[in-house]
Amino acid sequence: MNPIRKKRIYNILLVLLFTVSGVSLILYSLNSNLDYFFTPTELKEQNIPIDKRIKIGGMVLEGSVSRNESKIIFIITDYESAVKVEFDGIVPDLFQEGSGVVALGFLNEDIFYAEEVLAKHDENYMPPNLNIADDS
Amino acid sequence: MIVEISHFLALLATGLFLLVSCFSLIRSGDMYISNLISRTYSHAFFFLLGSFLIYVWLAITDNFSVAYIASHSNTELPVFYKISSIWSAHEGSMFLWILFLALWGYLFNARVDNEEVLKPMSVGIISLILVGFLCFLLITSNPFETILPFAPSNGADINPVLQDPALAIHPPTLYLGYVGFVIPFACALAFLINGNSHIKWEELVKKWSVVAWVFLTIGITLGSWWAYYELGWGGYWFWDPVENVALMPWLAATAFLHSLSVSIKSSNLRIWTILLSISVFSLSLFGAFIVRSGIIDSVHSFANDPQRGLYLLAFIGLIILISISLFAFRLPIVRSVGNIKAFSKESFISINNIFFGALVFSIMLGVTYPLIYEYLFDQKISVGAPFYNAIFIPIVVVSAIFLFFSIDSKWQRTIKIPFFGGPKILSYFLTVIVTVLCIYYFETNSVTIIASLFAGFLLVNRYLIEIFLVVSRKKYINPYSVIAHFSLGLLIISIAMNSVLSSERAINIRLNESEVYKDLNIYFEDIKVIKKSNHDAIQARFLINDTKSKSFRLNPEKRKYFTRGQITTETAIHATPLRDIYITIGDQLDDGSWVLNIQINYLIRWIWISAILMSFGGLMLIFSSKRKHS
Repeated sequence: MNPIRKKRIYNILLVLLFTVSGVSLILYSLNSNLDYFFTPTELKEQNIPIDKRIKIGGMVLEGSVSRNESKIIFIITDYESAVKVEFDGIVPDLFQEGSGVVALGFLNEDIFYAEEVLAKHDENYMPPNLNIADDS
Repeated sequence: MIVEISHFLALLATGLFLLVSCFSLIRSGDMYISNLISRTYSHAFFFLLGSFLIYVWLAITDNFSVAYIASHSNTELPVFYKISSIWSAHEGSMFLWILFLALWGYLFNARVDNEEVLKPMSVGIISLILVGFLCFLLITSNPFETILPFAPSNGADINPVLQDPALAIHPPTLYLGYVGFVIPFACALAFLINGNSHIKWEELVKKWSVVAWVFLTIGITLGSWWAYYELGWGGYWFWDPVENVALMPWLAATAFLHSLSVSIKSSNLRIWTILLSISVFSLSLFGAFIVRSGIIDSVHSFANDPQRGLYLLAFIGLIILISISLFAFRLPIVRSVGNIKAFSKESFISINNIFFGALVFSIMLGVTYPLIYEYLFDQKISVGAPFYNAIFIPIVVVSAIFLFFSIDSKWQRTIKIPFFGGPKILSYFLTVIVTVLCIYYFETNSVTIIASLFAGFLLVNRYLIEIFLVVSRKKYINPYSVIAHFSLGLLIISIAMNSVLSSERAINIRLNESEVYKDLNIYFEDIKVIKKSNHDAIQARFLINDTKSKSFRLNPEKRKYFTRGQITTETAIHATPLRDIYITIGDQLDDGSWVLNIQINYLIRWIWISAILMSFGGLMLIFSSKRKHS
């Protein structure tokens, strides 16, 4: 093989190596930083480690909102199962009983410790998967 | 009917734009055809402008027979917001988006000489894109639809969170940035179609690209600022899908500007520059698709409509497919001249482009992966800040260090860049001292924070020394580059310090009582109901003292708007150069106390200042090259 061609092959291999390792690094960090989304019913079926950040979505159960110091405690339900949520902070303007909500945080012994609570800025919003539940 | 005139003018403009693109297919190089294209384009643009101005007039005069205006405006609104209500939702904002696209084409058409070989074809391509988007507007999202014969007596009002000066200027600025990249895109395609590799299309588009980049930078910054104080998000960046789709074209555009400067200087990286010009515009279009198809849930997303999404996806897919095939077909003619020498400016810019490419790729993955994943596995997932932080922090830190060494490099030649020597030793020295001081004072042991601070200070110190050398020893250094990269250093430092110092807490507080948070003593003075023309507000008043016994009052509000029954939170911010005291008021509890959310955000203003300073570097470049021409 002549030296020029040899050098070219080396270069191509080097570029390939870098690209592959770069992409795998990115994919690896993507995979370890995904937030899975569950409804309360799905949550019951899963075994989620304490240190795994997840999202849960559903409706705020009527009459379930209570406060303790600056903490707000409420129940997210999909009208089949329910999960208790604790959140230290101010809930968004559209957060209210009987309306849709998504919480991001960690599940520890049946209590969900939310880091972030989102209410969709739309009065007609239904959390994903609930539209179907209602129809049936 | 006035609205029909507006509608008709838009249709007329569409027809003329189609005509322009047909003209451009006729053999090029004929002056008669070039003049014809130029003139027809101008006329088409003025028809479209006329159409838009009439539409603005309809909005100002509360013509609620127009369905779109009826559902997004209101007689009570000030004129300013009546106008901005036009771009508060899908149809009108698309109209503005298209007008701006046509405006860029018009300015290009007006300022570039007709004898420029690539001009007729470029204008033709812009016209064709305009036809595609005008058809999209008129077929799937017609803003001219009327409610007749019974027009409502009043409109449904604009969403209250959109009644804000920043919002009135944020979308137009952002759109000007997005669509501005149509010019490098069209010129690159015209260059490929023409096929003469001696034509310097890069020279032609430089200024235009920088202007578009400046608008995009300012637009994103305004959006970040607006989300902070009006939406009450309390931060500067949230990796929201819509922020991401704006950041992708920005990163690609920044890489493009760098690559462009190499192609202009030494005819290197030409293939890469063309590919980037296609990417930037495609990413801008992809952003429009994501926002307008409703495929992703976000604060910004407009109403969900599969038909719109499908049309846009098909149209954007077609544009990308055509430009990439053209690119592949013409690849042989755009071969770069000569190799890139090691440790030359070109080599550093190539490295920068690889990093930027990786960043764009990562965001693209973060935005699209949840969609693909849900489709394949029927499991909803989302990608949040941890992923982006894991990618961005190392890449930005490493690029900053490369940038630091690239300052010594020269165009088109290899020179030895000693690790020490010259201003570098002093920079290391200062940086180590400042970083150690930061670690000591902030009591941080986070590697990412320390690395970011180090990289940021390295850049800032180095450029300060360089500026000193320029002044004292008349050393030459590219001033735009200095401003832009100095701002980058400032940005990195501000972000790192913001994340290490800022804190947030929700506290319960009773009327006429005090609470202490950090060095702040918060006294709840008063709470009252205020009745305004379009909303009721609960306004609280807090007297805040810090340890330096400076005191100030903050009045956060909760508002309920009448027309939509929407509740909004008005933040109250006390801003100083060093930090923002940022408070919002929540609900009243059963025991009578109120929930108060308090944030102390350090250096957050400097994040926006850095971004604006960065765009200022671009602005200077535009004006300086203007002077050179005249």
